[in-house]
Amino acid sequence: MATTLNPAAKAGAQVGRSVPRLEGRDKVTGRAEYTHTMRLPGMLHAKLFRSTVPHGRIKSVDTSAAKKLPGVLHVVTVDDVRKVLPHPYYGPAFHDQPILADGKVRFVGEPVAAVISADPHIAEEAVQLITAEYEELPAIYDEVEALDTNIFVHEELKPAGTFADLKHLKGAKGTNLALDYRLRRGDFDKAYAAAAHKFEHEFKTQKVLHLSFEPFACICDYRETGVTFYDSTQGPSFVRTEMARLLGWPENKVRIKVPYLGSGYGSKLYIKLEALALALSMIARKPVKIAYTFEEMFYQITRHPSTFRIKSGVDKDGRIVARKCEVFWNGGAYADIGPRVTQKSGLTAAGPYDIDNVWIDSYALYTNMTPAGALRGFGVPQLVWAYENHTDMMARALNMDPVEFRRKNLAVEGKPHATGQMLKDHPVDKVMDKVLERMEWSKPFDKGGSGHIKRGRGFAIANKAVISPTTSVAIVNVAADGSATLYCGTVDMGQGSDTAMAQMVAEILNIPAEDVRVTPRDTDVTPYDMGTLGSRSLFHMGHAVRRAAEDARDKLKALAKEVGEPEGSNIPIADLFQKRYGMQAGNVIGSGIYKPDYTPPAPGTGQSPNVTPFWMVAGSGAEVEVDIETGHVKITKLVNVVDCGKAINPKSVETQISGAALMHLGFSMFEKMHLDGGQVTNASLADYKIPGFHDLPSVLESHYVEHDQSNGPFGAKGVGEVATFCVGPALANAIDDACGVRLMEMPLNAEAVYRAIRAKQGKPLEEA
Amino acid sequence: MIPFELAEPTSLAAAVKLLDPDDETVRPIAGGTALMLMMKAGVFRPQKLVSLRKIEAKYSGIAASGDGLRIGAMTTLNAVERSADVKKHAPVVTRTMRTLSNVRVRNVATVGGALAHGDPHMDLPPVLMALGATLTIVGPKGERKLPLEELFTGYYETVLDKNELISEVHVPSQGAKKGAYMKVTTGSADDWPALGVAVVLDADGGAIKSARVVGSAATTKATRLKAAETVLNGKTVDDKLLKAAGDAAIEESEFIADVRGSMPYKRELMRVYVGRAVRAAMQGTGA
Repeated sequence: MATTLNPAAKAGAQVGRSVPRLEGRDKVTGRAEYTHTMRLPGMLHAKLFRSTVPHGRIKSVDTSAAKKLPGVLHVVTVDDVRKVLPHPYYGPAFHDQPILADGKVRFVGEPVAAVISADPHIAEEAVQLITAEYEELPAIYDEVEALDTNIFVHEELKPAGTFADLKHLKGAKGTNLALDYRLRRGDFDKAYAAAAHKFEHEFKTQKVLHLSFEPFACICDYRETGVTFYDSTQGPSFVRTEMARLLGWPENKVRIKVPYLGSGYGSKLYIKLEALALALSMIARKPVKIAYTFEEMFYQITRHPSTFRIKSGVDKDGRIVARKCEVFWNGGAYADIGPRVTQKSGLTAAGPYDIDNVWIDSYALYTNMTPAGALRGFGVPQLVWAYENHTDMMARALNMDPVEFRRKNLAVEGKPHATGQMLKDHPVDKVMDKVLERMEWSKPFDKGGSGHIKRGRGFAIANKAVISPTTSVAIVNVAADGSATLYCGTVDMGQGSDTAMAQMVAEILNIPAEDVRVTPRDTDVTPYDMGTLGSRSLFHMGHAVRRAAEDARDKLKALAKEVGEPEGSNIPIADLFQKRYGMQAGNVIGSGIYKPDYTPPAPGTGQSPNVTPFWMVAGSGAEVEVDIETGHVKITKLVNVVDCGKAINPKSVETQISGAALMHLGFSMFEKMHLDGGQVTNASLADYKIPGFHDLPSVLESHYVEHDQSNGPFGAKGVGEVATFCVGPALANAIDDACGVRLMEMPLNAEAVYRAIRAKQGKPLEEA
Repeated sequence: MIPFELAEPTSLAAAVKLLDPDDETVRPIAGGTALMLMMKAGVFRPQKLVSLRKIEAKYSGIAASGDGLRIGAMTTLNAVERSADVKKHAPVVTRTMRTLSNVRVRNVATVGGALAHGDPHMDLPPVLMALGATLTIVGPKGERKLPLEELFTGYYETVLDKNELISEVHVPSQGAKKGAYMKVTTGSADDWPALGVAVVLDADGGAIKSARVVGSAATTKATRLKAAETVLNGKTVDDKLLKAAGDAAIEESEFIADVRGSMPYKRELMRVYVGRAVRAAMQGTGA
């Protein structure tokens, strides 16, 4: 039908086919474009001078020596920024983050000044010549203490106005609380008081970071007639809106171009380097690039550390009748998207269980650390860590099999969620069965003999609600030769979205996916999208793409009718254009927009009949060997099962599952930002280790259950985060099964396990 | 990184002359894998680097003779890993190489650099020390010999003057002795070790005639554990003996705390791993 660019590619059955990545060849041959390695003619480089104190008033910044260094063009502080951007603050939830520190610094590593030079090495050298004097203020690091302290990170809260539930915080003083989310269902106090068994635990997660392999990078080219950004961002539409706001310009004068991303995992959302790059380009009147080193990645955005206090009441039959969740999110010095994490994940804090009486309080808190945001799971992994440890602990205390205890309490299809929404396309039982089948759970398990190696296995299950409501727009352009081009704002950062979207277009136009070109993201031509985040793209953008392709298909049909083709004609598209325009000329343009239905949760109770358009479900099973003489844990088997609706591209689904699970294996077992008095003491890849090939479990399995998402495009839904949820608690449950110790805090590193073993033996190891 | 002078002398003698005993900002550079990290982090800011890459080729070779191996200081770790002579005369070194850092580092890092850097986390120094290696050191006044176990004086500190260079390492043939190196990591598998233990044993069946035991990484410097050796020497290996050796080892070691573990934990690791390393050597398992 179309000009077949790949002679081997065939039309038909494009959805459900493991199409190799469309951009794969360019990537592996080093031809794909990335912001971090991009150069523009006349481009200058900026390097940043950062705060060395966690909280302090800036008494002075001495830039004189830096300015004198030959080759330095500008040394910029917030006073210079103000001359070009009078209100130099940004942020998605609060306008709380200054482009450069303004009077105060709030975390170690906060940018205080920037040096611009044509030579990045000179800029770097000049940064070393800058000095600053601070009046140090007491600092707050702990998320629980932050709720009740007289140390305040911000003098006054400044909600951005975008989110209705933050408006009441405008102008609030004397608080570190950036959002308090509540859910109330039934009567927790009464049910808990009457419960036969009561359990109360506290769990914590540590500070970890995304570490995408392309560090943060942005180039801004400012001119009076318009500004262009070359940006490693997951959300070009948001960047455009926010830059237009800072400039007081209409959006059409702001252009965001996004090449491929060397991953993002939620770190490259909202505003990161863009506002600073804009200010610097306005000052230098030339294109200015900021590109981080790996060492600087520790001072931009991290995952939220958390404390989760969970209480459950269980009746005499082993049914959970009441649950109270208090979650404290350590948001760091600037809110970024923390308040949204607090609310949108907070609503699932009680887990995938059928509990009549639920109480959830979820707090976003400011502290004097690197800001925290979304990281592959939008807060859900921190919640699952707590409730799935808690579930195992209850089962063991009740002398029940942890798996059977869960089965008794799972919220299956047709049951209400804690928000009141009826659960649909929520196959927790199928996911659980698949994990247990692959783990051979019903067979006898060898727990190891009398030696120093003890074996154990663990299970965990979880759900997540996709963030709602969000909007996506797509355009499909069919050229006169029959080839099709897709314009969509979903950023392919390695997840394979370009290929999946092309498959949907190809399915509808009946052409091979390989013949669909997906344009690089460019807000001058690609329409609006809320952002590539929270596993929303395949569902939301997928619907927009489907609608755009259907619109184009319908227009082609109309064209066929117009030129006198009979109903059901299979005339090649190229011939259709030829017939209509007399030569290879013209276009057919289809467009599609999608925003799901949504009912805002009732204030104070969080109840809503329609809080999310779809649920994600995941389960993990782990087998471990624990060396009880050293605390080392060897993972002998890790099985991850998810529900992704219909798999658009089965190979991509499989690698999303294994990739997410391995990333989370690092967070669970050893990754940790070590902090001492607000200073990061391991801010490099030499000292902050991520998993490598030798850390792979001996057996690693990735599976999905087939369960069509009834309201999804082609029955599909997102799969980017879901396999991160259960890895940590499944491992912790396995460690407990092996040697009888329960770790209440991640990571589950060898020393932590060893200390727990010694404590259990009544011979605690002395503190450091 | 600021501009600096790069000298590329073509002889070892010329390289020694270019070094300055009193200037911290002048340093030799071999593979550069460690030095470049320090320069990137801004910890070290050189005025002049003296590259050793173009010195005489004889310093980049491995020669075997009756009494063992002579390894030129500029020999890459990769060359050591792949050398048939090393495998024959010091198989414990060949096995260690597979767990040492990664292939990219091994391709450029050198034996001399791994020793002169004085970093207690390196895997090769404790193994060479357990084998009883000696160094040839060249300075302005000529050559001197030094047992490797006398090289390290502290954390990143050695007895080398700033204008002295290691030219060669002499490794006695392992012969019938048994050796093992245990790299113990607490982060990812390819992390720097939290503890390294190297043992070389002269053993007859289950009886140890003499042992050399070296601890590293958990300690301020690679350290020969003589008290542990004394416990082992002349004894037959059993669990009780190995426990006693571990207990002795921790008494004579100076531990450091870092992101890889606290001091009390590293002590426990060493207590366990001295015995495990002896067992591994006896059984011919482990690195």
